[in-house]
Amino acid sequence: MSWIAIGLIVVGLYFLVVGSIGMLRLPDVFSRAHALSLTDSLGALFVLVGLAVYEGFTTNFLRIIVVLALIYLLNPVIAHATVRAAYRSGLRPGKGGDQ
Amino acid sequence: MRILTAVILFALWLVLSSTFDLAHVAAGAVVAVLIAWMNPALPHMRRLSWPAAIAYQPWLLGRILKSGLHVSRLILDPKLPIAPKLISHQTSLRSDGELVALGNSITLTPGTITVEVAPGELIVHAIDEESGKDLLDGRFEAKISGVFAGQEDRR
Repeated sequence: MSWIAIGLIVVGLYFLVVGSIGMLRLPDVFSRAHALSLTDSLGALFVLVGLAVYEGFTTNFLRIIVVLALIYLLNPVIAHATVRAAYRSGLRPGKGGDQ
Repeated sequence: MRILTAVILFALWLVLSSTFDLAHVAAGAVVAVLIAWMNPALPHMRRLSWPAAIAYQPWLLGRILKSGLHVSRLILDPKLPIAPKLISHQTSLRSDGELVALGNSITLTPGTITVEVAPGELIVHAIDEESGKDLLDGRFEAKISGVFAGQEDRR
């Protein structure tokens, strides 16, 4: 059981690391938001599911499921609010960066 | 519908508190019933078809996984082959619930982010051609209109 958990958490860490690299490499606020959604949806998903598997079926397992559900509902809203604010203040995507 | 809200709120209370003595459980039950009684049900929740909503989740997860791998390949590529652009996405969906579900699903999928929402039109930012193409096949719309296919006045 704990090996499955370790495997899931390692996969989650892969996405968290790639998302962080993307945060540094990508040029503007819009494409950086994509790196954010990578860490949110896949990184957090695999790490939390790994923890849930490790925990077994206890109340902590159910709490992790609640956290997962909240992340799935709220993180897209945050990402959307961020890029919409950027869009409305006049930023447009481009490969050259936003300076 | 309000009974369902109360039951869900009470279950959430039990999970979060996980103290099962009389005082805690009773307090949770009273508060759950009070909140459910004070708040009218959201109109689009009545149209939600639960089997379709549950079947939608694994499908969306598969889609997230596929495009997540694609975006992580883009980020790790030394040449960084991105081609970000804004797409105006015409949609047949009109109601608030459907638009929220569509916009949230698009944003959750790595590689696409909803920038602006209006009935019938979404402005979507795609990180490259392939991520943008995923949107055009209209499968999001087909699935989501199935999720909200229930009767308007079911309670």
